[in-house]
Amino acid sequence: MEPLDEDELNHLLRKWEAPAAPPSLTQRIFPPRKSSLSWLLTGTIRVPVPALVAAAILIALWIHYSRPAVPARVSEPGSVSLADFQPVRQLEPVVVGGGQR
Amino acid sequence: MTENELKAAFEDHKDAVYRFAWRMMNSASAAEDVAQDVFLSLVRQPGRFDPARGPLRSFLLGITRNLVLKRWRDESPWEEFVEDHFAAKPMSVDTGPIAQVVADAVRLLPPLQREVLILAEYEELSLDEIARAVQSEIGTVKSRLHRARENLRRMLAPLKPTNGVRSNHGTVR
Repeated sequence: MEPLDEDELNHLLRKWEAPAAPPSLTQRIFPPRKSSLSWLLTGTIRVPVPALVAAAILIALWIHYSRPAVPARVSEPGSVSLADFQPVRQLEPVVVGGGQR
Repeated sequence: MTENELKAAFEDHKDAVYRFAWRMMNSASAAEDVAQDVFLSLVRQPGRFDPARGPLRSFLLGITRNLVLKRWRDESPWEEFVEDHFAAKPMSVDTGPIAQVVADAVRLLPPLQREVLILAEYEELSLDEIARAVQSEIGTVKSRLHRARENLRRMLAPLKPTNGVRSNHGTVR
């Protein structure tokens, strides 16, 4: 069987057409952006760990130093009650000698 | 590469990338996956493209080619891309439209012949651009392209009008 010549081959090759890229490809590369409100509700952000640790330390320091100083508790003078005082039942005076020279 | 430059590159070359992948793999979904990976690689590593080494189109088609071959290797790791043992025989052309017969013939070619034929005939790349895309010497590309066309001339011989098997319009004589 005689093979095709160059022109015949070129003519036949042109008959095989390929489709254009589908619209879904565009959406896969450039997904539609969410509105600001939906981003606030469902969005995520990526934070580098060092930045996160630094922020946590700063917040902890800020909380620590911004607390109002607690005044030192001063003990109030207790009230004195005489209810437990009792009279001496047996008085035993002791005379200590040598008190006057 | 700014986002606007990326969008412009995508609009300019998405059809060529998709067409090439589609012709190589015979699957719309696989071609779309490959085309997505091609442009995502451009987004992630825009510095890989050097304008001094050739146009963006041939660079993107080169990435497409590598991704297609990688898929084939993943699917058939034992199969080597050799072209020495391919013997083209006239195809059976009595069924299906002529475009389908041509598609079948091109897809029967060994991958290394198929890719240079598609890049040359359908994407109209120069030999130099094809050589860069397929990472081969220009002489090798010329040789593969010549063998691919010779094989197709034999495979599609039944479609030659003087052979009387079938006219080019798909009717049996």
